[in-house]
Amino acid sequence: MFLYGNPAMAFNPASPRGSFCQRTRREFFWEAGGSFTGLALAGLLDGGFFARQTHAATGVPFANPLAAKPPMFAPQAKSVIFLFMYGGPSHVDTFDYKPALYPLDGKTIKVKTKGRGGERSESRVVGPKWKFKQHGECGKWVSDLFPNVATHVDDIAFLHSMTADSPIHGSAMLQMNSGKIQSGSPCLGSWINYGLGSINENLPGFVVMLDPTGGPISGAKNWSSGYMPATFQGTLLRSKGAPILDLAPPDDMPLEAQRAMLDALREANTAHLLPRSDNTELAARIAAYELAWKMQEHAPEAVDIASETEETKKLYGLDNPRTADFGRRCLLARRLVERGVRFIQLYSGGAHNDDNWDAHGDLVKNHEFHAGNTDRPIAALLTDLKRTGLLDSTLVIWGGEFGRQPTAEYAEGTGRDHNAFGFTMWMAGGGIKGGVSVGETDELGAAAITPEHDGKTGFHVKSLHATVLHCLGLDPNRLNYFFGGLDQKLVGVEHVSPIQEILA
Amino acid sequence: MVIVWAAMAGGAERVDFSRDIQPLFAKRCVACHGPDTQEGGLRLDSQAGATGALASGGRAIVPGDSAASEILARITSTDPDVQMPPEGARLAPAQVASIKRWIDEGAEWKEHWAFRPLVRPPVPAVAGVGNPIDAFIRAELERRGLPVPKPAEKLALVRRATYDVTGLPPSEQEARDFLADESPRAWERVVDRLLASPHYGEQWARHWLDLVRYADTNSFERDSKKPHAWRYRDYVIRSFNDDKPYDRFVIEQLAGDELPGPSSDELIATGYYRLGIWDDEPADREQARYDWLDDIVSTTGQVFLGLSINCARCHDHKIDPLTQREYYAMLSFFENITPLGDRHLNPAFIERPIATEGTSAEEVSHRAQDLDRRRQEARLEVAAIEKRIKEHGDQAIDDLAKADLATLKDRVKSLDKEHAGIAKALVVSEFGREPRPTHIFYRGNPHAERTPENRVEPAFPAVLRAPAPEIVPPADSRTTGRRTALAKWIASPDNPLTARVMANRVWQHHFGRGIVRSPNNFGFAADPPTHPKLLDWLAAELVASGWRLKPLHRRILMSEAYRAAASGNGEASAKDPLNDAFWRFDMRRLTAEEIRDSIHAASGVLNPKMFGPGVYPAIPEAVLAGQSRPGNGWGTSPPEEQARRTIYAHVKRSLITPIVADFDVADTDTSCPVRFVTTQPTQALGMMNGDFLHNQARVFAERARREALAANTQPGTSADDDVAAIVRRALEIALVRPIHDDEVMRGVALVDVLESQDGIGPSRAIEIYCLMVLNLNEFIYLD
Repeated sequence: MFLYGNPAMAFNPASPRGSFCQRTRREFFWEAGGSFTGLALAGLLDGGFFARQTHAATGVPFANPLAAKPPMFAPQAKSVIFLFMYGGPSHVDTFDYKPALYPLDGKTIKVKTKGRGGERSESRVVGPKWKFKQHGECGKWVSDLFPNVATHVDDIAFLHSMTADSPIHGSAMLQMNSGKIQSGSPCLGSWINYGLGSINENLPGFVVMLDPTGGPISGAKNWSSGYMPATFQGTLLRSKGAPILDLAPPDDMPLEAQRAMLDALREANTAHLLPRSDNTELAARIAAYELAWKMQEHAPEAVDIASETEETKKLYGLDNPRTADFGRRCLLARRLVERGVRFIQLYSGGAHNDDNWDAHGDLVKNHEFHAGNTDRPIAALLTDLKRTGLLDSTLVIWGGEFGRQPTAEYAEGTGRDHNAFGFTMWMAGGGIKGGVSVGETDELGAAAITPEHDGKTGFHVKSLHATVLHCLGLDPNRLNYFFGGLDQKLVGVEHVSPIQEILA
Repeated sequence: MVIVWAAMAGGAERVDFSRDIQPLFAKRCVACHGPDTQEGGLRLDSQAGATGALASGGRAIVPGDSAASEILARITSTDPDVQMPPEGARLAPAQVASIKRWIDEGAEWKEHWAFRPLVRPPVPAVAGVGNPIDAFIRAELERRGLPVPKPAEKLALVRRATYDVTGLPPSEQEARDFLADESPRAWERVVDRLLASPHYGEQWARHWLDLVRYADTNSFERDSKKPHAWRYRDYVIRSFNDDKPYDRFVIEQLAGDELPGPSSDELIATGYYRLGIWDDEPADREQARYDWLDDIVSTTGQVFLGLSINCARCHDHKIDPLTQREYYAMLSFFENITPLGDRHLNPAFIERPIATEGTSAEEVSHRAQDLDRRRQEARLEVAAIEKRIKEHGDQAIDDLAKADLATLKDRVKSLDKEHAGIAKALVVSEFGREPRPTHIFYRGNPHAERTPENRVEPAFPAVLRAPAPEIVPPADSRTTGRRTALAKWIASPDNPLTARVMANRVWQHHFGRGIVRSPNNFGFAADPPTHPKLLDWLAAELVASGWRLKPLHRRILMSEAYRAAASGNGEASAKDPLNDAFWRFDMRRLTAEEIRDSIHAASGVLNPKMFGPGVYPAIPEAVLAGQSRPGNGWGTSPPEEQARRTIYAHVKRSLITPIVADFDVADTDTSCPVRFVTTQPTQALGMMNGDFLHNQARVFAERARREALAANTQPGTSADDDVAAIVRRALEIALVRPIHDDEVMRGVALVDVLESQDGIGPSRAIEIYCLMVLNLNEFIYLD
């Protein structure tokens, strides 16, 4: 350690790059005043940590809020991959088979709907535009839009009577991601990292991969940590170029030069720390630079698919321009799960209108496009997770912020408006029973009719969130965070039950 | 808490109900045994409820007899069917011991400290202490057997105070002047200079803007711009700089428009009501309306009163003595406020022309009305001609009409432009003088039945023992006068909360934490004040000095406690690890804005220009890519504008500048009373690799070189000497202290390594060195 006025110990330019003055990383942390994990083990990360953080920023012993924490009970899943079909896929054209709807095509009928275009009580039916066939041992009806996903139905639990509070993209997106239709609350990924911490300090615990056409409506609000610290917010991971913002130094600062700078920084910071050794935040900041250095090394490795076999790449559809992008992101999702990332969200569709599943105009064109881009990659992800054994501990979620109406939005054409009264999502993997379908919409697919769950018809978004937390070993009604005078929960103040019918 | 409890339990003093018992009941028991529900017939929020007969016939608390008190059996039981609390961690042994002792000592029950009338407490007599603040602090240090801290070094002190008061580092000259000034009044001179600085308003306005969740946009799908919001931001800065009395500041924001002949600032202040999130396309209009009003109730309650009234929206408050009826009575003060608009922002609701230099409010208002009328006429004419064209076809319309149409359209355009040129403020407005009715909504559901029985009128929470509001609609106004009644009650010296809450905030931003560590919550679940008498003294002092903040700042800055060193002390740390007693001054990290502004200050480009519409710091494309329309709603500003203080940056709710977001800027969607201070690798990535840092390091290096070489007038110095001079200069600029030779030597060594081993060119090597300097812990932490 370098001290003021001791030139004999001056900076040694010969110190090898990548080591910390010839010490192991563990030794370095020890000397620097304690590591993240060391402090957590010392019990400083008690329940009061966050309370203190919200009350007093200083004078608090530093503890890494992302340190791994035990779940509340034995978990079935350790990680979540949320395949977000942004814009709202039509359930009656994908997984919710409505034979009665075909013969009504073109007929105007009485049906209550509410969407972007307002409330209506009568509209023209658009019959489903694809044929359904039965698949798997469970005999699940799946439309021709998803021939590859259809081969996995025995591993999937379908939730056919999902409901949300808003049929408008902005607020519905917020609800699917954060439980609330207003902005300002932490997202599902934030809650999971808050509850469980991260087991890989070289990668963010909450990762979001966007569609190449752009982000979803409301942008960063969809991966915000709201009233929780920024530690729990989602990190955008790009599948091309530097995967994380500022992950690589600019070209005119090569890694060797950066390491030399970091060594000098560490020595100066260590000298500064010496008379302030009881301030663990200073030590933590020294450690954070070394973690950043490690992230620079490990994050690119996590997204480098060169080591994957040709067979795997083909499986995900990387050989086809239509499926290459989503396939690549699905493959990255598997690699991130392998590396312990807790929550990974992939967007199918971005920006506005037909760049996502928001099929107001030409339903066939829109859904052929988005399903065609994602069917093979999603099936590949399930296949790959299963053959690597990861599916047992990884929860896969598929769905959008809402579904679509059985009727047409306009006088002409096949476009469907939004539908939050009833829609389909599915889950597979850790903790989930395969080959089951629960909940129903009416014979038109207009609204949820069964079951009664927590005193309401159908499965509200909150029930889905409760199920996800439950699979991860977190009690949705006990995972709370004190803010604004009350114990906030992802699922809100009233008791919410996980969907038992689909739990393995 | 646990540690504090352990320390308490050992002492021979009586258990302090307000500090040791009541917060524990509030946090662990009252949700089930409180104002809303009384399981087993027990309520622990009042003495009668706690000591009365239970449903079982027993008594939870028998004063003086812990053995007969059922509560002890329950909190010590290991039987899951019997033990309390039923969920979460067991009470710590020290907590159990405190409850037991408190009961045996007679179970004395006191009114909640924050709800008691404010009475100036006597200052403890402590020998040799002049400043009353120090008398309170010393008395507590003595009581707990903690040492009196050493005074801070002069350089550390001037750096600390300059950041606290202005958000900026001291200039080297200021630091040198203070070092050289050996008179007894040296410190006082620094304090007075700082409090007179216009940067004071910028720094303290930032704290206020965090509280009122200031932003320039509305969130949700379009995240559209709030017109003229920046004028509110400027108003807050001006108010602090003018040392506007706090009671006045409260009244202006809550009801400035209802003051007689309101000034521009009094109108701008009411922009307070327009700052929150607003959904232009709600799925359920009624729900959205009451969510929006709830946001105002919630923010007003927490910011001005330190009360989470919002928790009583769906049922009686679980912890505090606030009923659901009182929530709606509070909401009724705001019930008549217009929304920001319907599908689009409605200028008639939210905009008002304001007087600027050389014009009176009346003139401006007449001019705006005249323009409105002419615009309307021209638009109607356009519409009439367009209708004719539509009906009769283009052919059937003569050329004259077509020419007219073009002229008219031009006129509309030019009138619009003229109208846009009138200065306007973002303001509150109401639906009229007649209030709309307010009802209690069963379970908070706005679709619940509205009956005459559940109708409520404006009233203040009973626990605060306020008189009934006197509501008089102001003459000539289109408002109910309800907000004025609310504002007057909040701004009254008789309100037990207002002065305490604000005095605590002032203390918080000087010391890094409030005397009450939960500044937005002074209810039963608050963190009890570490120095209750000092808090009351400060609050009384605030009121006595005409609600002016600067005298309070001055008192605090002049105290020994403020001037204490930050250095550690093993023994004190063991006794009081959280520094409850102020046995030292807590170090702190700079805030996001302070970091960004300090980097600009170091590179020498900080632009001190004040006020005006928000500026747009450059945001990397990778971050813009997260938007559904990348770049939408974000402008470009020239470099010198980007280098203005961060408080002048446009605040777009869904798009936050990365360096500011990384360093824990306040979330804009809810009131933020205390910033987080997180330490994470992504901060380091931005600081060592980000565009902003590299650009600034370059400018910083140029400045250091220029200044070093200008000062170095000796002929014939070598290039190595130049490097040493630049390194020294860079450190001097960034750290504002004399630099040791060995620090320079280490810097030169880094530059050497970069050049000789990494093939970096000489000027780039200096830039990388300067980048390192901006990353130093010393640069972003204050002693």
